[in-house]
Amino acid sequence: MAEKRKELYVFSVGQRFAHWLHTAAFVVLMITGAMLYIPWFSQSIARGDGGNMVRLVHRIGAIAFILVPILYVVLDLKGFLADMKRILTWSKEDLGWAKAAPAYYFMGDDKAMPPQDKFNTGQKLFYLVVAVCMILFIVTGLVMWFGRGVVPVWMFQWSVFLHDLSTIAYAAFFLVHFMLSVVHPLMKGALNGMIFGWMPEEYVKHHHAKYYQKLQSGKE
Amino acid sequence: MAVMAMLIDVSKCTACRACQVACKAWNDLPGEITVCAGCYDNPPDLSPDTWNRIAFWEIDEGERLHWAFRPVRCMHCADAPCVRVCPTGALHKNPMGFTAYDESLCNGCGYCTQFCPFDIPRLKDVNRWGQGKATKCTFCQDRATNGLVPACANACHTGAIQYGTRLDMLTAGRERVTVLQSRGYAEANLYGENILGGLGMLYVLTHPPSAFDLPENPSGGLATAWQPWIQALGGVAVGATALGLVLNWLIARKSIKAEEA
Repeated sequence: MAEKRKELYVFSVGQRFAHWLHTAAFVVLMITGAMLYIPWFSQSIARGDGGNMVRLVHRIGAIAFILVPILYVVLDLKGFLADMKRILTWSKEDLGWAKAAPAYYFMGDDKAMPPQDKFNTGQKLFYLVVAVCMILFIVTGLVMWFGRGVVPVWMFQWSVFLHDLSTIAYAAFFLVHFMLSVVHPLMKGALNGMIFGWMPEEYVKHHHAKYYQKLQSGKE
Repeated sequence: MAVMAMLIDVSKCTACRACQVACKAWNDLPGEITVCAGCYDNPPDLSPDTWNRIAFWEIDEGERLHWAFRPVRCMHCADAPCVRVCPTGALHKNPMGFTAYDESLCNGCGYCTQFCPFDIPRLKDVNRWGQGKATKCTFCQDRATNGLVPACANACHTGAIQYGTRLDMLTAGRERVTVLQSRGYAEANLYGENILGGLGMLYVLTHPPSAFDLPENPSGGLATAWQPWIQALGGVAVGATALGLVLNWLIARKSIKAEEA
């Protein structure tokens, strides 16, 4: 049990399942979406019957994408509500993070970095972008799927427009998320936490000091 | 190649529907079970199998009623919103000026049906999973590109539908408007000379466009912004992010290793 003491359980089964189903659906949707959005793809691969197939796969991905928030609520309502509270809580420390971030993420200099909660400011921002984009994707996507000829034309047109804008915002933030959780040399503990649920105690202490304090005092 | 156009003179149209039938015959479109909507419109709307139809209007002129007819079909805009939003190039501009269509490229997205300011394209839905094909008047592209007159213009026996170079059609249209104005149609006008870059389907109208359910000043709306700007924004935003991350990785890899050592 000596090993266990060095690790902290930070992500529940429901949270990890929601994260990876969302990731899988997102990858499918982004690839098939890009095939329609990027002219080179849409005019070579996604045309004719190929295009009809791409759009079919996009819709299958969409169903998985829509299931994620529903399953998260069903599997771990407490975790879901705690997440929502976290991403909506902002303070002066977030400004401190923004000021300290360049030195930290480029040079590894953490002297100016204020202690962070379970999600640091960047992670909160990404989570918020995902949540907003998700709502936009689902609403506008359903309008395009079932609303053609039913809803007013302006609503369909804005849906296409907003679906595209969400894609751009999401794609850019996804690259940053991938970089910081998988590639960046400082963040080696994050991926482990999201796969197995456990994070090294040292990592949590160092990267999420505020959260670590809460865990130690039994508040989380 | 000269830019071609059709000139539709509604004052010469007798609503015989020869163009409607000729369109079906040449393009091999099956007949449809239709409904009586309490007027002469038949069928009451365009459909995947009806690319051209005569619409009827009763214009109240106080002491008398003016019975107006107009063949409704694709306007072949020079700057066509449907072409702007079509992701696959299935809808594209032909050098002869018309909005050409290659059904084999259509992926069934249906954007053209929602961005057309004239509500022309129809989607042949196969199922709710997105399979489908768009349809619309193609200017008889197979005939036009082979030097033949489009089927509707060929069938029109009153001369209401003329076909020729766009310049000739504009000249003929302006002349006809002058004649109509001198005969008591004070509001006669030529519709489509400059609309959306210039329409390939020009109309000589006896009454203001609104009397024929034609928009006075249609625009591509969001379609004009959508294709060029959003696609550029996507490339720039995602590209800049990727570039920033590569830079971050290159610097962080070195500086953080140095710190550890």
